Amino acid sequence: MSELVTGFAVALTPSNLFWGLAGTTLGTAVGVLPGIGPALTVALLLPVTYNLDPTAALIMFAGIYYGAMYGGSTTSILLNTPGESATIVTAIDGHQMARNGRAGAALATSAIGSFVAGTLATLALSVTAPLMVKFALAFGSAEYFALMVVAFVMVTTMLGESRVKGWLSLLLGLTLGFVGIDSLSGRARMSFGIPYLLDGIDPVIVAIGLFAVGETLWVASRGPAIEELLPVRGSLWMTAAEWSRSWKPWLRGTAIGFPLGALPAGGAELPTLMSYAIEKRLSKRPEEFGRGAIEAVAGPEAANNASAAGTLVPLLTLGLPTSATAAVLLAAFQQFGLQPGPLLFEHEPALVWGVIASLYIGNVMLLVLNLPLVGMWVKLLSIPRPWLYGGILVVASLGAFSVHRAAGDLVLMAAVGIVGFLLRLIEAPVAPVMIGLILGPAAEQHLRRALSISQGDWTVFATHPLSAALLLVATAIAGFGILRRPPAGLSTVAQSAKAGIESKP
Amino acid sequence: MRIAAGILLLLLVPALVTAQPLVITAPAAPGGGWDQTARAIQRVLAETEPAASVQVDNVPGAAGTIGLARFIQSERGNPGALLVTGLVMVSGVIINGSPVSLADTTPIARLTGEYEVIVVPAASPFRSLADLVDAFRKNPGSVSWGGGSAGGTDDLLVRLLAEQIGLPASSVNYIAFAGGGAALAGVLGGQLSAAVSGYAEFAGQIGAGQLRVLAVSSASRVGSIDAPTLRESGIALDLANWRAIVAPPGLSDAEQEALTARVTRVATSVQWRATLEQNGWEDQLLTGAALRQFLLSEQARIEDVLRRLSATNARAPTTLAVTLTPSSLPNAITIAFFGVLALTLFTAAKPSIATDREGARMAAAIIIALLILPIAFVTIGFVASSVLLFVVAASTLRARPFTIRSIALDLVVGLAFSITIFLVFTRGLGVALPGLPW
Repeated sequence: MSELVTGFAVALTPSNLFWGLAGTTLGTAVGVLPGIGPALTVALLLPVTYNLDPTAALIMFAGIYYGAMYGGSTTSILLNTPGESATIVTAIDGHQMARNGRAGAALATSAIGSFVAGTLATLALSVTAPLMVKFALAFGSAEYFALMVVAFVMVTTMLGESRVKGWLSLLLGLTLGFVGIDSLSGRARMSFGIPYLLDGIDPVIVAIGLFAVGETLWVASRGPAIEELLPVRGSLWMTAAEWSRSWKPWLRGTAIGFPLGALPAGGAELPTLMSYAIEKRLSKRPEEFGRGAIEAVAGPEAANNASAAGTLVPLLTLGLPTSATAAVLLAAFQQFGLQPGPLLFEHEPALVWGVIASLYIGNVMLLVLNLPLVGMWVKLLSIPRPWLYGGILVVASLGAFSVHRAAGDLVLMAAVGIVGFLLRLIEAPVAPVMIGLILGPAAEQHLRRALSISQGDWTVFATHPLSAALLLVATAIAGFGILRRPPAGLSTVAQSAKAGIESKP
Repeated sequence: MRIAAGILLLLLVPALVTAQPLVITAPAAPGGGWDQTARAIQRVLAETEPAASVQVDNVPGAAGTIGLARFIQSERGNPGALLVTGLVMVSGVIINGSPVSLADTTPIARLTGEYEVIVVPAASPFRSLADLVDAFRKNPGSVSWGGGSAGGTDDLLVRLLAEQIGLPASSVNYIAFAGGGAALAGVLGGQLSAAVSGYAEFAGQIGAGQLRVLAVSSASRVGSIDAPTLRESGIALDLANWRAIVAPPGLSDAEQEALTARVTRVATSVQWRATLEQNGWEDQLLTGAALRQFLLSEQARIEDVLRRLSATNARAPTTLAVTLTPSSLPNAITIAFFGVLALTLFTAAKPSIATDREGARMAAAIIIALLILPIAFVTIGFVASSVLLFVVAASTLRARPFTIRSIALDLVVGLAFSITIFLVFTRGLGVALPGLPW
């Protein structure tokens, strides 16, 4: 706990408070704006934060991550388009509530639910992270490799409707990760004699291509969209009945979101879907679901915030990203020469705990930003869509160029954008590409390092108990299909969510 | 217009004609050692020669060889261009098969160096370098060495050490990490026998007593490091991760001397001393014939060890990790990727979501704009190319019959947006962008 106190001392300095506020404000804005999310925003900001103090920059990035989880719900409720993939589920009943004139209550339950879940999950993060660190110090290359195999298997099994398409995305990411000089042997691989490729494919450029360019092309290919922005009607305060219907879903959403965020399941989509399904099952009025049930907003909104905090546990303690945003955050740490993992807690306690403490403060800021000030964000939604996407493309190309100041990166960005568009066309999930690209090289290095240390003896993976256990888990997931399908009911929710969003009023 | 502005500038700032404008290329991304060196020189020059204009240009890639190639190609005969280089570039040139090398440049000065240390965990049975070398000699594979990336200074030191004690360079069980700091977890956790890196990377753990220094790679004892040199331990080897500055080829002797004098003034200034202190760099100023001699000998010994290494690697894969060559995983994964791709395409022959016909045209228009963008970016500058992209994207997404009015409106908004972004990034955030075309 004394570390957390130190962390608050770091996070409460005026300049860090400023960066926290900048991050949460920006995060809410990108959450509100459809087509641009936290992964992309952090990727765009990487090149301009070289000179910033690492603590300040990471506090801002964490604020962006949390803020996007808050802001996305505003769009989901007021517009028939989710602001974020994490708020797709919120759009089903949230938008119906707004049509029924209860937009205020929907916004309130999601903002307060986000605050409750965000704070509780940050508390859980503060408690579990030091425990994980103790555990992770015993990790050697064999254990890390086994852990990454679990991550690969889970991310493909849990995301999207089809496992084959999950593997397609993951393998694409893994293949791209091999390009460039092999750091263990110093040999060029898959670079076809092109000097540009010797340094490998930069994950930041890929993130920009996949999320900004791919998304814009996808939106364009849907043809002209008709959107209806509903005004905020009804009091921003909930009635007693709405409070009593909301608080249990908040807590359940937190309990679902935090552990699922910590698992390599690719972000907030699964926890929000599960929260929706569970609320529907437990509700006394299941027939209201789909027609504006407040539980269906409260639960998933709590779940997505809790999952953001959950994601930070493996990221900070093991250096293991479990969502696309976490993958970009890992790149952010590496930009400052920091390697997340157990040693980070030992070497940079002020930084790690400063960032964790800033999350508590950020949650308070976000509650204020998203409830009393919600009107400000609604105005953002009135930006004409053509200008919004035009602007996104301009900022994306600027971001891609300024990473290395190389025009070649723009070619890569366009190519990846087209690939991202094609993946969306065949309904393959996009996040596994990022996970594969970032974790793939690390997994390969750990595999080969483990084998070098054992002098070529493959049995190390079986004789180290932890790595053996992890590999068994991976085999179980992949082979016996424990999680072969999302639990019953989930795929129907996903379908109806999609249908609800795509049908035009 | 341009000429008028130039004349005006010349009249207003006479200093511009007296001081030579200088561009220092750092062949690496911002933040690394080469970039820090270039920016340190820039800072010192700003204080010692306030009238001079000095820019740092980052050209990252492939251990500096991309920057080197561009420098030699485009700056030939330009006395206003300098390139930061170092030991890692010497091996990078060989490993990457670069067609140009440091021999194609005009050496100006070696500036700094960092010595390497060999460390073991405090609990290690190896009490001295002799213990470690004995175990290494008996069974080379049993000693695992950790350090920075393959072909870097850490790797070279261990390979050179092996050859010094009569073992082939390829017998080293070297495990590369992203850097010395990343190898730290492995050596502290006891998975590695020893780790090698610059002293600064391990200083904290050495001070805390978690690591024991067995040897330092300097020629004679370094005051701040309490450990014998390799030579004291009977191994005739010293190695420093040095950094130097070179000029393009094709300079006259007078130009070369003027540059050497100017860099020497920097490297002997009070401000430079402070910079060395701050970064923990060792002063290793060397110029003239001695520098040329030094570069030749470094080139020769690194080339030798790397040649022998790749020759043995090519003949027979080393004894280590025989089960996995660098290319086995990429091949397997690529084959798997195309397999799954084929499977997906056959099982879901058509895209499951039908694409709107108008939507397809809109997406195609944006794709074309994106493909033109890289060329536009470098030829007509950021603002003009961004306006182009913005207008194409906005007017296709608008999805109404185009009118002059709507396009004009998009143009105005795009221009305002691009100029704002341009100013914010170049003025406010210090990101250099290709400017306006005039």
